[in-house]
Amino acid sequence: MNKLRRIAKPVSHLVVLGLLVLGIHLPAAQAGLISTETVVNAEQVQQDRERLRDMLTREDVKNQLLARGVSPDQIEARVDGLTDSEVQTLAAKIDQLPAGAGVLEVALVVFLVLLVTDILGYTDIFPFVKKPAKR
Amino acid sequence: MGLLLTAGCAAPLQTDRLLQTARAFPQPVELSEVPFFPQEAYQCGPAALASALNWTGVPATPEALAPQVYLPERKGSLQLELLAAARRHGRIPYVLRPQLESLFAEVASGNPVLVLQNLGLSWIPKWHYAVVVGFDLPRNQIVLRSGLKQRHVIPIHVFERTWRRGNYWATVVMPPDRLPHTAEELPYLQSVVPLERLKRWREAAAAYNAALKRWPKSLPAQLGRGNSLYALGDLHGAEQAFRQAVRDHPDSVPALNNLAQTLADQGRWRQAERVALRAVELGGPLLDASRETLDQILQHTSTNNLLGPD
Repeated sequence: MNKLRRIAKPVSHLVVLGLLVLGIHLPAAQAGLISTETVVNAEQVQQDRERLRDMLTREDVKNQLLARGVSPDQIEARVDGLTDSEVQTLAAKIDQLPAGAGVLEVALVVFLVLLVTDILGYTDIFPFVKKPAKR
Repeated sequence: MGLLLTAGCAAPLQTDRLLQTARAFPQPVELSEVPFFPQEAYQCGPAALASALNWTGVPATPEALAPQVYLPERKGSLQLELLAAARRHGRIPYVLRPQLESLFAEVASGNPVLVLQNLGLSWIPKWHYAVVVGFDLPRNQIVLRSGLKQRHVIPIHVFERTWRRGNYWATVVMPPDRLPHTAEELPYLQSVVPLERLKRWREAAAAYNAALKRWPKSLPAQLGRGNSLYALGDLHGAEQAFRQAVRDHPDSVPALNNLAQTLADQGRWRQAERVALRAVELGGPLLDASRETLDQILQHTSTNNLLGPD
């Protein structure tokens, strides 16, 4: 499976390039129309080169999500919902961006540190701690 | 110990500034109708998103949302994926400016705000999503739907410290026919555009309509409206939208090109040709697209030699 994933990325790039060589159009709203996305990016008209880069980045993010355990039937729609700049950010920092979970897994000593910081009003880990009204 | 705690917290809290001007929001605000979904392990993202979506009339449960946002290897949900998931449900997420004032302005206008917090410390992070549903400045309190607590009430400065560790990230989730109170033109429209890729044309059209009420001459909104109506098969409506775009932006190649295409689709070849020609004459980076539109029109007019009604 891992091997497959390693191959998937270069292959998908090849496929995209192949489509371009065959003259298949870059995404437009509909045949004949120029898409809204083309004008909305800071109102600068995107060059084909940039649109190609965005397309490749989308493929890249799809592979990254797949490699991090997202179910294949969700991948397409999860990436489609992102703007071009969001896709760029995700591609560059998928492992650095905070992943909100609301769960803490720490040792006892850290637990005690956080208990104290909670009481001082610096953190908000334990709902049972009454937070100070004055800072 | 004190050093560890204050490291990175040297800048003054926004709370201090805001509490001094508590008169700006003298009345407590609480959107008590915002639904609450207690979070299961690791699922604060889906729970918070479910609250926000249900408030706008989308009956999504955290269980249904989890496959759309949860990233198994990271054991959590990324901010950007929450935005994408909101769009999948035909809603417009709008990321706020990183200020308490923006957050409170949205809540006061009836929009709950989804926030990212680091409830722990920078070196022991506990990343968490919650939904701000109310605040009371004179009493220095903020009300959240958070974790297992339907009404988590804490002092504003405690909230701000956790929110600051989340880089002050906050978003509203709006129904397409309503703009966020603090919306700015381009960021709002950029957030709408992915609805087109998701083929949420009806909602996209409604969002562009709402945008045009506030920014009547916005080119991306005019084009977006035209493109959405075109996709919905409303050629007449699309034509009106593109015409308005051409009136306000006579040198916009996309506006001219799309108007030409829409006219051609209605069999008004003579007009279409004139408009397409103007687009080609303007040149620019979209020349290929506009030339193709013109060629296709010329092909028709030359083979049929039958110019439709003007």
